[in-house]
Amino acid sequence: MIAARIVKKDRADLVFTALADATRREVIRALSREGPSTATGLAASLPVTRQAVTKHLSALADAGLVTATRRGREKLYQLSPRPLTDAVSWMADLGARWDARLAALRDHVSAPRRRR
Amino acid sequence: MESIEREITIPAAPAEVWPAVTHSDEISAWFGAEAEIDARPGGRGTFRWPDGTARHVVVEDVEPARRLAFRWLPFERTADGAIVTVPSTRVEITLDEVADGTRVRVVEREAFALGATRVRPGGQALALAGA
Repeated sequence: MIAARIVKKDRADLVFTALADATRREVIRALSREGPSTATGLAASLPVTRQAVTKHLSALADAGLVTATRRGREKLYQLSPRPLTDAVSWMADLGARWDARLAALRDHVSAPRRRR
Repeated sequence: MESIEREITIPAAPAEVWPAVTHSDEISAWFGAEAEIDARPGGRGTFRWPDGTARHVVVEDVEPARRLAFRWLPFERTADGAIVTVPSTRVEITLDEVADGTRVRVVEREAFALGATRVRPGGQALALAGA
């Protein structure tokens, strides 16, 4: 467990964690609505401080959900939806695996020669 | 999209389905991996896939003939022996008696690193990202 904690988090893990926060989802919506923006610009349209927005953007950037480019003294953030697609596809795979497992479970339990 | 939910109805009583989801040899018959699990709260388990990968679980809740919940630990041993991190999820399998047998419902939920995303309201949300 300890070893696992210090290893770099899986990308999907970071994505889901980043998206677990309601404010960060708001930040994503704002970026989607307004296009590339600075933390100052985003703070103007969100009910949080610029400092808070900066922290959220930083978490989103770690998850690969936004990319930052420097513009003067500020950074310009924009959405990078690829990790989101990866994460969603991971969930879709998971659902498909359980569909197959449950069908196999039904067949196993229903099998006439089952013993236990 | 942080969780998936699947269900199936099996023409057998919950008491008949229960061993199939808690006994290692029976799980191995349908799960797609060879299972060794101690289906008691706090029990450990290992799943080994035919391709050589393996993952571990910790059993969290057991309510006989009703509910089994376990958590996948957030790493996987690959076929070549490397350890890679994967999302940690919690699986809850619930058995409900219905008219034509047992409805088996599986919910697998992304186990967000508790305490990392909500350490302080509006505060240290980055603890996990830096982990």
